[in-house]
Amino acid sequence: MTRSFIAKNPSVLWFLLALSVFSIAVTLLSEATGTGLISTSFVKTLGKTLCLCLIAIAMDVVWGYCGILSLGHFAFFGLGGYAIGMWLMYARTELIVVESLANAALPPTDKEVVDAIASQIFGVVGASEFPLIWSFAHSLTLQLAMVVLVPGLLALVFGWLAFRSRVTGVYLSILTQAMTLALSLYLFQNDSGLRGNNGLSGLQNIPGLDAVPQSVISIAFFWASAVALGVGYVLFAWVVSGKMGSVIRAIRDNESRVRFLGYHVESYKLFVFTLTAIVAAIAGALYYPQAGIINPAEIAPIASIYLAVWVAIGGRGRLYGAVIGAAFVSLLSSWFTGGSAPAVNLGFYTINWTDWWLVLLGVSFVAVTLFFPKGIGGLFDLIVLKPVADRQGDYGPDKGAWRKEEGEP
Amino acid sequence: MIFRLVCVAFAICLGLSAARAQAPATPLQDVLQQNADAVANPSRGTVDSLIAALLESDLDGVPVFLERWRDRAVYQRVSDGLFFFGTATDGGFDLTDVDTGADAGRATSTEVSELRPNAGVRRVIGGALVAFQLLDNDPARRVAALDAIARSPSDDQLGPLRRSIEDEPDPALKDRKIRLERLLAARYAESEAERITAIESLRGDLGVDARAVLNLILTSSPAVFATMPTDRNIAAVLTPGSDDLSEEAAYDQLVSADLAPPLTGVEPIKAALIAAIDGGQVAGIPVASLTTDDARESAYEALAAAGAVPPLVTLEDQAASLATHSFVLLYAEPNKAITDAARETLDAIGMQVARNQAADLALDGLSLASIYFLAAIGLAITFGVMGVINMAHGEFIMMGAYTGYVVQLFIPDYTLSLIVALPLAFAVTFGAGVAMERLVIRWLYHRPLETLLATFGISIALQQLAKNIFGTQARPLTSPAWLSGNLTFNEVVSISMIRVAIFVLALMFLGLLIYILKRTRLGLEVRAVTQNPGMAASMGINPDRINMLTFGLGSGIAGIAGVAIGLYAKVTSEMGSEYIVQSFMTVVVGGVGNVWGTLAGATLIGFLQKGIEFFNPSNTLAAQTFMILFIILFIQFRPKGIVALKGRAAGD
Repeated sequence: MTRSFIAKNPSVLWFLLALSVFSIAVTLLSEATGTGLISTSFVKTLGKTLCLCLIAIAMDVVWGYCGILSLGHFAFFGLGGYAIGMWLMYARTELIVVESLANAALPPTDKEVVDAIASQIFGVVGASEFPLIWSFAHSLTLQLAMVVLVPGLLALVFGWLAFRSRVTGVYLSILTQAMTLALSLYLFQNDSGLRGNNGLSGLQNIPGLDAVPQSVISIAFFWASAVALGVGYVLFAWVVSGKMGSVIRAIRDNESRVRFLGYHVESYKLFVFTLTAIVAAIAGALYYPQAGIINPAEIAPIASIYLAVWVAIGGRGRLYGAVIGAAFVSLLSSWFTGGSAPAVNLGFYTINWTDWWLVLLGVSFVAVTLFFPKGIGGLFDLIVLKPVADRQGDYGPDKGAWRKEEGEP
Repeated sequence: MIFRLVCVAFAICLGLSAARAQAPATPLQDVLQQNADAVANPSRGTVDSLIAALLESDLDGVPVFLERWRDRAVYQRVSDGLFFFGTATDGGFDLTDVDTGADAGRATSTEVSELRPNAGVRRVIGGALVAFQLLDNDPARRVAALDAIARSPSDDQLGPLRRSIEDEPDPALKDRKIRLERLLAARYAESEAERITAIESLRGDLGVDARAVLNLILTSSPAVFATMPTDRNIAAVLTPGSDDLSEEAAYDQLVSADLAPPLTGVEPIKAALIAAIDGGQVAGIPVASLTTDDARESAYEALAAAGAVPPLVTLEDQAASLATHSFVLLYAEPNKAITDAARETLDAIGMQVARNQAADLALDGLSLASIYFLAAIGLAITFGVMGVINMAHGEFIMMGAYTGYVVQLFIPDYTLSLIVALPLAFAVTFGAGVAMERLVIRWLYHRPLETLLATFGISIALQQLAKNIFGTQARPLTSPAWLSGNLTFNEVVSISMIRVAIFVLALMFLGLLIYILKRTRLGLEVRAVTQNPGMAASMGINPDRINMLTFGLGSGIAGIAGVAIGLYAKVTSEMGSEYIVQSFMTVVVGGVGNVWGTLAGATLIGFLQKGIEFFNPSNTLAAQTFMILFIILFIQFRPKGIVALKGRAAGD
C-alpha cells in the first residue's frame, strides 16, 4: 500500500528530499551548529516560512482540492499561536514570580503565586485575575491539547453550520471572512481575556531553557517546523490521493453531481475543513514561539486573503505549488518591505519599494490570475512532460468548475 | 448719628473739591455713606441690612453698584471715606463717581483701599443682583441671569424669580422663567404641598435638568441599623449579598460604623505572622510549612490563643454580623410624600425618555442603514447580474471620497464643490469600474472565486496607490454650513443634518435605481441578464455590454457613497476596507440581484448594529462581533438572504 502511494505521488519523495537537503544545509550554515553564515534571526525567518508553507498546503487542500475558498484559516493559525502562547507566557511568568517570591518572609501560597502571575500578565489591560479561558494554561500537555481542540472545534461547528445550509462559493468565502473578522474584533477587546491588542509577548523565551542560547532554540524550532511540514505534506498527499481524494476533487468540480452519486458531500467537506484547520493551528503553534509575539492584528481577515494569494501564485491543486508560493511570496515580501530592495530611479520619480511593493504585489497577482492560472508550480509541467489529456470542453457545467487547461490529466 | 455722618461727609466733600462748589445730587453715595462701615467691611451679618437699605432707596445705580462691588471694583478713598468705582491702570486707579459715572480723577494705591467682600458676602450680593438682572431691560442680561440660576440654583433665588415672572415681556423668556421657577420650587419651596405640585408639574419634562432636580431630591445614602428605624425616610432595604449590596461592601459599612471588627483577611494574617517570626518559627510552627491559607490561619489562631494578636474574624463571623443588622438606603429628604412624588414623576419621565430614546435609536439606525445601502447597492447589483464579488468596491468608495477632497482643493465654496463632486465622483468611479471590468473581470466570468482574488489584488494596489499619492494622514472633506448642525426634535431626539442628507441621498438613489431597473430599456436588459444570461443573449441582448454598464453603474454609486461617507468620516486610504465587510454582510443578508433585498439587508444590519451598541454602548468592538455572529446564524435559516430569487431565476 505504502509503495503504491509513493509510486502514485512521486512528488512526495522529491519534496521530502528537497526539504531534508534544505534543512541540513541551513543547519550546517547556522550560528549554533555550523559555520554561522546564516544569522539566528534569518534562521527564525526560515523557520517561520516553513510554518507558513505548512498552512499554505492546508489552504491548498481546502481550496485547491476541495474548492472551499476559506478566508478564515489564519484565524485557526492564530488560535493555535494563542493556545501555545498562553502556556509560554504563564510558565515563564511563573518562574519569574516564584523567584521573586522566594525571598519573601513567608513562603508563598499557591493562590498568591497565581495572583502574582495574573497581575503580571494582565497588568497592561488593568485586570489582575485569570479569566476562565486560562484554566489550563499552567499545563503544557493540556495547552497543547487546546492547540488542536479549540481551532478544531471551532472549524467543526462553523463548518457544520455553513455546509449543512449549503452555503457555497463566494457566499462561503464571505462567511469565513466574517468569522475571522468577528474573532479578531473580539480579541481586540481588553476584556477578551487575552490582553486585547497587546497580545501575548515574550514567546521566544522558552520557560526552563533560559540557559540555552536563542541560536540553538531557533535551530530546534526550525527542525520542528521542517518535520511538521514534512509530516503535513505526506498527510495531505495521502488525503488527496486515492478514492477520498477523488471524491474531494469531484466536490470541487461539481458538488451536486457528487451528491447525486450518493456521497455525503457535507461530511467530506467538514472533514477537509476541520483537518486543515487543525494543521493550520499546529503551524501557528510552531510559528509564534519563533515570532515572539502574537496579537489580534495577525488574525485580521487580510492575513487569510494573503494566504490565498500565496497559494494562487504558487499554483493551486498541487501541494508543492502551495509551498513554493508561500515561501516565495512571503520571503520576497519581507525583502521588499524590509527596505533592502534597491530603489528604482526613473529620473522624474524614485520608486521606493517599501511604498510600491503592495502595488506590485496586487498587480502581479492580477496578472498571475489572468495569465498564469497554474501559478509558479505550473512551470514544473514544462519540465516533467506529462501527457496532456485530449479533452474537449470543460470538466463540468458548474461555473466554479475548473477549465480544461487547469485540470490534471 | 446718621445725620452727623452725612453732615461730616458733606462738609468734607465741600471742603475738598473746590471745583464742586455746587455739589450735584449724590443719592447713592449718600446711602453708601450712611452705611459706610458695612460697605467697607462687609460681613454675612451686616450685608443683609445694607442690601435691604439699598433696595429700599430704589435708585437706578444700585444694580451697577452691586455688580461692581461683587467684582471687587469699588474703592474707598482713604482721605474722605467716599466710595468710587475704579479700574486698576499702571500703578494707580482711575476712579469714577458711583452716581454719575463721571471721571473722578486718579489715585495711587495708598490713597484708596479696595473693598474685598468675601465669598459668602459675594454670594448674597449675587442673589440680590439676580433680582435686578431678572428685571433688567436688556433681554441678554435677563438670559444671563437665568443661565446663572440654572447653573447654580439656590433657595434665595426662588423669590426674585417668582416676582420677575409677571412683568416679563418676552414670551420665550417668560416660559423659561416659569420652568426654572418649577425646578427651583421643587427643591426649595416652603410648603410640602407647593413642592409636590412643582414636582408633579415636571411630569413630561424631557430636560436633563428636570431629571437632575428629581434625582437630587431622591439622593440617598447607605446606612446601617441594628433595628429597622420607623421614623426615617427609607428609600430601599438592601439585603447583603444581593446585586445592590455585596457582602464585602455591607461588612465594610459595619466596620466603618464601628459595629463590627474588621475581617482578618489574608494580608493582615500575613503581616501578623511575619511580625511574629521567631527563629524560623511562628508560634512553634515552622515558617516553611506555612504554604497554604489554612496553615496560616491555624498559625494565626495559635498566636491569637497566646494573646499576641486580636482573635481571628472569619467569614462566618462576618455572616453572623451581617444577619443581625439592617442595611438601608436613606433619602436625604426627610419628607416621604415628597420623595414618593419625585419617584413617581421620575419614573414617568423615565418611561417617556425611554420612548424617545427608542425613536432616537430608530433615527440613528435609519441613518446607518442608508449609509450601508449606499455602500452596498453597487456591490449587490454587480453580484446579482454577473455573480462577481468585487473586493475592490471599498476602494471605489475611497476613490469617490478622494475625488470630493480634490474638488474641494480647487473649488473653495463648499456647497458648489459638493454639487461638482457628486457627479464627478460618479464619473471617476464609473470609468474605473468599466476599465476594471474590461481589463480583468470579463476574462474571469467562469471563475468567480478567482474574480474575488483578482479584485482583491486590485484593491491592495489601489489602497497603496492612494497612500502613496495622498499620504497616510486623514484628509478632510468639509460639509457646507447648511449641513452642519443638528435637526433637533426634542431634548432626546436629534440627528445631524449630514445624516439626514445621506438619508435623502439614499432615498434618491433607491428611486433612481428602481426607475432604471423597471422603466428603462437598460434595466430590462439588466434584469434579463440577471435571470438567464444565455437566454438573454439569444434574445439579442449583448451581455458584454450589459455587464460593463452594470459594473460601471455599481462602481459609480460606490463613488457617490464615498463622497457621502467622507462628509462625516475622515477620508483615508483605508476607509473602503472599513465598509467593505458591512457591505458584504448587507448583500449576503439581503439577497442578491434585488434592490429591495439590499434595502432590507441594510435596514436589518443598520438597526441591528445600533441596537447592539445601545445595549453595550462602551464597546463597539463587541457590538460588531455580536452582529457578525448573528449574521452567521441568520444565514443558517435563510441561506439566500431575505429576498431570495426563486425558481429558475435563482440559477442553481
